[in-house]
Amino acid sequence: MFQYVLRRLIVAVPMLLGAMSIVFLAMRILPGDPCVAMMGDQATTEALADCTKNLGLNRPLAVQYVDYLWRSIRFDFGSSFRQGYPVSEYIARMFPHTFVLVMASAIVAALVGIPIGIVSALKRRNPLVDYPLRIIALLGLSMPVFWLGILLLIAFSLHLNLFPLIGGGDLDGVLAMIRSGEVFSQPRDFLAGVGDVLHHLTLPALALGFTLAATVSRLSRSAMLEVISQDYIRTARAKGQRERLVVYKHALRNMMVPLLTIIGIFVAIALTGTVLTETVFTRPGLGKMLVDAIGARDYPLAQGAITVFTMIIIVVNLIVDMLYAVVDPRITYR
Amino acid sequence: MAVVRRADPVDLPFPRAAEGARGATRGRLRRWLPIGIGLAMAAVMVVVAAAAPLIAPLSPSAQFSDAVLKGPGAVERHLLGTDEFGRDILSRIIWGARVSLEVGLASVIFGFVLGVPLGILAGVRGGRVETLVMRCADMLMAFPTLLLALIIVTALGGSLVNEILAIGVALTPNFVRLARSLALTIRGQDYILAARALGGGQLRIMARHVFPNALYALVVVATLYIATAIRTEAGLSFLGLGIPPPTPSWGNILSEGRQYIKCCPWITTFSGLAIMVAVLAFNLVGDALRDLLDPRLKGE
Repeated sequence: MFQYVLRRLIVAVPMLLGAMSIVFLAMRILPGDPCVAMMGDQATTEALADCTKNLGLNRPLAVQYVDYLWRSIRFDFGSSFRQGYPVSEYIARMFPHTFVLVMASAIVAALVGIPIGIVSALKRRNPLVDYPLRIIALLGLSMPVFWLGILLLIAFSLHLNLFPLIGGGDLDGVLAMIRSGEVFSQPRDFLAGVGDVLHHLTLPALALGFTLAATVSRLSRSAMLEVISQDYIRTARAKGQRERLVVYKHALRNMMVPLLTIIGIFVAIALTGTVLTETVFTRPGLGKMLVDAIGARDYPLAQGAITVFTMIIIVVNLIVDMLYAVVDPRITYR
Repeated sequence: MAVVRRADPVDLPFPRAAEGARGATRGRLRRWLPIGIGLAMAAVMVVVAAAAPLIAPLSPSAQFSDAVLKGPGAVERHLLGTDEFGRDILSRIIWGARVSLEVGLASVIFGFVLGVPLGILAGVRGGRVETLVMRCADMLMAFPTLLLALIIVTALGGSLVNEILAIGVALTPNFVRLARSLALTIRGQDYILAARALGGGQLRIMARHVFPNALYALVVVATLYIATAIRTEAGLSFLGLGIPPPTPSWGNILSEGRQYIKCCPWITTFSGLAIMVAVLAFNLVGDALRDLLDPRLKGE
């Protein structure tokens, strides 16, 4: 097991390195000079030269590249061109917002997607059940998250006035209360803060969660189909076991392994989804930060955000690979 | 007392004759109906996109100052209403279909042409070539499609060609992986051995034997990727990184309409609906074709 982990880690390192190189190169061939973007067209040549020097953009590309890699290993992504303060600090501030969004939408997606997938696999011969479920899944898969988000905003924020139109709530305040221990001394304030965060989170989580539920339902349908075509299910049925027990006792547990793969795929899709969801709902987070950074040609910020996105995806996939062994004892690692 | 239960119908190998015939018809209908609906929807889209100059009631860039932000039907000539410049939403959506379809089809063709030969080469040759190709594909796979397309299109700038390139490159590793896995299965077949024994070169085997046998599965998946490409294009345009206005694309119509959701929700509603219908059409076809291929669903 240890050797396997080590080998997977060794494979993950060049992958991460390659992904970071792609990000670095892409950011360097961006059209437009970041200094011009920052200082405007009216800036003097001297001022622009000064700015280029300060940002280190006058150094050879290879030097910039090595510097970027070395710093990234230490989670030092430099300072934001625009705001001036460290990118890692910015990322650390935005990360919780994206994290809660991904988690909340994961819950929505799992609660909606897994039951739909299982039922549609088991009842696939019953058109009255299978068709509506598959249509829901297809709609979810085809509906762009930003459109669903806007529809939810129109209905629940503008017309019914039930949820806020923009923002992410005072998550920073809630986290500060947890860190300082005020959560125990002022539980009322804390709960109010949590309520505010949830209030802001509901619509984005529903929008992202529903579009993700479609993917989850297809993957779980596929996983269930795989499992129920196995011999042990036939044996269980042949010995006269009730269908309910066949599903709960044999099929569901064995479905766990293929379902685990979902987590890896899910995180990748969810993170991409946050870019669009956070933009639609004008929520703070890594995704919106990335879009804003690209718009402002803020290399370090965009680079940092993409690097963190990639790191998360690679690490999650690594963890999922390892979880297989825990869930399924038949899998051994050599 | 033991309860004797009849086995679930799933395991009954021989259906009764009358039921069998009816079941077969129902089965055929179930298989071909979604493909039919999907194909019809896709065909309508292709016709709309191709005949945009003929069927669009007005020019997509014509501005009508007397009809700014008018709702559907408020002014007779604007069936789906107008935007903030008084441009006709229906005409813009019809013209926007061109962009979506062009990007959807061209980027999938790009990914297919680049990825499939590499995947087949990796699968048939094996060894270092395979390691190299697959590691590169894995590296690109670390990025979700939209994120990779976003990076590339940001680097190259927003235009039709750059969008096609960006989404095409982002889709390539998927084709590499699939083509390789198909090639791995096919290369073990007897007919490949026969072709080798007859003195067929590696290139000939790949082109004349492996590729045609992998083609069906590849085309099925390509159909699903058209849906992904259309959605990604809309996402990029929505983020302001796609085709710049005033050229209409569904994503940028939706993005522009976002500022007016309070007063004029029809702009975002109709453009979003167009995106969904297009993606749904290709998803329906791809999904149904994939089910046809799925051995676990055989005989259903």
